[in-house]
Amino acid sequence: MSKSVEEMQALRFRVFAFFLDWASWGYIAYGIMYLLNSYWYTNIHYYGRLSVPTWGWPIVILGTLELAAISHAFGHSIGLSMFGLRLVTDSFTPPSLGKRWQRYLAWHVAVLSFPVAIWFSTQKSRLLHDRLTGTRMVLVKQYKDEIPILPPRAWYKTNRGEMSVVLIGVTLWVGALVTQIDLHTMISRVSTSSYLWKELLSPHFTHFITPDPALQQSIVSGMIETIFMALLATAVGAAFALPLSFLGARNIMGFSPLGWVVFTVVRGVFNVVRSIQPLLWGTVFAVWVGFGMFAGVMALGFHTVAALGKLYSEQVEGIDPGPLEAIAATGARRWQVVLYGVVPQVIPSFLAFTLYRWDINVRMATVIALVGGGGLGRIMFYYQSRVGLLPDAWNQVGAVIMTIIVVVWVLDYISGRVREKII
Amino acid sequence: MADQLVVEHLTKIYERGDILALDDISFSVVKGEFLVVIGLSGSGKSTLLRCINRLIEPTQGKVYFDGVDVTAASGGELRRLRRKMGMIYQQFNLVKRSSVLTNVLAGRLGYVNPWMSAVHRFPREDIEMGLKNLERVGISDQAYTRADNLSGGQQQRVGIARALMQEPELLMADEPVSALDPATSHSVMKYLEQMNQEDGVTVITSLHFLSLARRYGTRILALKDGKIVFEGLPSEIDEARFKEIYGEEAEHVEVR
Repeated sequence: MSKSVEEMQALRFRVFAFFLDWASWGYIAYGIMYLLNSYWYTNIHYYGRLSVPTWGWPIVILGTLELAAISHAFGHSIGLSMFGLRLVTDSFTPPSLGKRWQRYLAWHVAVLSFPVAIWFSTQKSRLLHDRLTGTRMVLVKQYKDEIPILPPRAWYKTNRGEMSVVLIGVTLWVGALVTQIDLHTMISRVSTSSYLWKELLSPHFTHFITPDPALQQSIVSGMIETIFMALLATAVGAAFALPLSFLGARNIMGFSPLGWVVFTVVRGVFNVVRSIQPLLWGTVFAVWVGFGMFAGVMALGFHTVAALGKLYSEQVEGIDPGPLEAIAATGARRWQVVLYGVVPQVIPSFLAFTLYRWDINVRMATVIALVGGGGLGRIMFYYQSRVGLLPDAWNQVGAVIMTIIVVVWVLDYISGRVREKII
Repeated sequence: MADQLVVEHLTKIYERGDILALDDISFSVVKGEFLVVIGLSGSGKSTLLRCINRLIEPTQGKVYFDGVDVTAASGGELRRLRRKMGMIYQQFNLVKRSSVLTNVLAGRLGYVNPWMSAVHRFPREDIEMGLKNLERVGISDQAYTRADNLSGGQQQRVGIARALMQEPELLMADEPVSALDPATSHSVMKYLEQMNQEDGVTVITSLHFLSLARRYGTRILALKDGKIVFEGLPSEIDEARFKEIYGEEAEHVEVR
């Protein structure tokens, strides 16, 4: 790259970096306004909202501009480090603090005299405040050899580090107000909710084996239903995910344009299906095949195809390519290479992921009951809806929750042992 | 005698990084030769071998095997050509979780009925042939153990047995002994020599050590930065040539 092109690139990045700094100060200003407003409204002045008068907005804009100019002129701002820019003197050493102040002041001269400066300047690529203070802003990657290696400053001493703390702090504070986090209520109402804990922790197993006449089902039969639901969803999901995962692996498909298309489509579908909650799939399938366990299995299975497919594909991508090369060199067909070179390498992790998925599906199957699936979830939500009608409703819910915990725990233990054995 | 393998103006440029790995390489190999390719790491030895059976696609140039243009072959024709070219590797390239016999039988994949191979069925003759080849490399007692339970030297012998299953006319070895100790190195090289002399298989192998190249090779090809810098008999490599191939600072290292 020629020198002038490099300089133009650096200049362009400087502009981007400056606007990024300005934007982050603007964000902080907006966050502070939100906080002020919120406390003004709730604690100080119970009616009306704080607002910025019309003449105030220029002040906010100019104020944030000044703040951005300060952090930019002093170097090490978020924008500068994000674009890999570094403030150095002409001899590529870091400028002194005095130089940095001078730069900040000279920046105003440069901005105010911008049209004039451009007109008279012979070095158009070098800005006025750089020239006045004998400093320059360079892309680190272009001047690797010239810039001396210095021990990095501690993160809290750089503008970048301090800005990050303020940005994160303001974001979390605003976030706490938006989500209405209220520790005071949580602590003050411990005593009023203690009965719930007492009843949940003293479960009534009256309908553990003998069916509840209202539900016509016992907890044990619900448990069996839930386990089967999860098992079928996992089996169906794995059966579809297995062939699809090879189509979604870059190292298997990335040899031809068509392969790339298939790879991209399969991975895209995995990501879309995976990002939609099984509960939502449940509502879709409840409409499609009717309210019930079949809809639950379909919902879980659908999500499982995508979730397992992605995990499987990543395993296929992570295999040792050596054996593939060796088997291809014997004159084998592509699918033979996959069968003899890829499959033996991925079987253990496929099995491990499948067992893990079964475990997840048992937990999800209980929630799926909200939109139709049966099993333990249905029993749990039934008793929960009878709170106030049945004297021991919470105790019954407690019994179901205990059962779920035991089932998940046992499955987790089994899948852990099996994984140990096969890897 | 007619040339078995002819390489003409072979050039390989890796798109990523714009690296010129092979620069206009031309040579030919007569049937029954034991050709050793030497050179520093990164001189293009592995790329050269892989361009011959097109595990790596050459950018330019031609490769002829028994008069057939390998670089123009596609699909089934390329597979039939690859079948005749056995290959063994520095890192052995075995499927670690499969048994030794399964690894060896993979060498027959180019020959067997593809439908039967889909369900892991191999003809009885092939299984017998596999056991015989394992016996030949001295590890018939390990046929049913997992490949990763074997030592490095044993794994390389499985690699040789797999190549033997192809009933190859040409055997290519990509630094077959770099991952092995000196004693094991010689035992592996002896199997290559045996195949060369008893079965009449042409051998092309890349080697790090000049002493091994001198001991086993009938002809030597030296690469440097993707170019041929020497081609001739092992005895022709004197001190000056050695410096030219390996650089001024190189010292002799003997593998006995």
